[in-house]
Amino acid sequence: MIEFVRTAAAKCLCALAAAFAAAGGAAAAPMGFKDSWMSMGDIGPNWKEAWVNYALTPRDAVGAGALYMRSDDGGTTRRLAELNYTRLLQRWNLPHAQANVWFFAGAGAITGNDFDGSRLALAPGLQVDYETTRVYVAATARLYRAPKLNHDFASLRAGFSFYEVDYDEVQPWFIVEARRMRGLSDKAEITPMLRLVHKRFFVELGVNNSEQARANFMYIF
Amino acid sequence: MKSIKPLISPLVALALAGAAVSSFAATSVKATVNGMVCAFCAQGIEKRLSKLPAAKAVYVDLKEKVVAVEAKDGQTLDAKSITAEITDAGYDVVKLETLEQSVADIRAGMKTKK
Repeated sequence: MIEFVRTAAAKCLCALAAAFAAAGGAAAAPMGFKDSWMSMGDIGPNWKEAWVNYALTPRDAVGAGALYMRSDDGGTTRRLAELNYTRLLQRWNLPHAQANVWFFAGAGAITGNDFDGSRLALAPGLQVDYETTRVYVAATARLYRAPKLNHDFASLRAGFSFYEVDYDEVQPWFIVEARRMRGLSDKAEITPMLRLVHKRFFVELGVNNSEQARANFMYIF
Repeated sequence: MKSIKPLISPLVALALAGAAVSSFAATSVKATVNGMVCAFCAQGIEKRLSKLPAAKAVYVDLKEKVVAVEAKDGQTLDAKSITAEITDAGYDVVKLETLEQSVADIRAGMKTKK
């Protein structure tokens, strides 16, 4: 019975991940293995992001993304279309852990409902993360700069898995994310999330401190 | 001398059968891999190793940090290629050994160990 429930849950999650991917969702996290395509999505009322990238080497990926940002009151919006580059600056492969330092660089056109036309936006960033089979911690900072615009972004994520699983089983995690962005929101967004990781997909579902639902996903082709 | 002749044929047949069995005995390369903590991230190892022409089956064990590749019958796995594929997937191989076991046997051994 337990096996049946696990299989059914895995199938539902696969379908959910595929649906997000088909919808061109939005996402987080950097890149897959060499010669792989990765799609990522991060979906919520005030933040919608979608990325696709291709890993040219084990350490370099190029891709394209789209980001929609909205102020807390819904009055101000931004839309960014960017080309991006991801570089794994440093990786520590330890016997029971992995730690990484990532660099992001993005460039594209940003538009808004409070100014005319589009502006050239640059979005460099850094991420540091540490993970074991039971613990996950990550800190991300990214600048979103354009003439007369500053939407710098920072986030912290930490969590734990409920238990270890075999490679082909779904592993549930509890993750809390705190993030903040300049210029559009004056408060930190706190989101507790249930993360489900399988070898084929990665999904996070949660509700933030403004009682808004959020969903993140990653899928490697 | 005559009396042992009837025994020779069965013995030869037995020896030939033994040789045939040993020639099809499964051979696997077992790697201990550092950094392998997440199934979603480690899927690259399985995908890349599965594409090796001589690979019949791949087994990944996150808890024991083990990756095992079984060779197709009559084929030989290249240890350097296996190391390169795991490295390209983003991980470090710290130990590599060749075993006269199938991936299923290795998996069963790991389950017993747990």
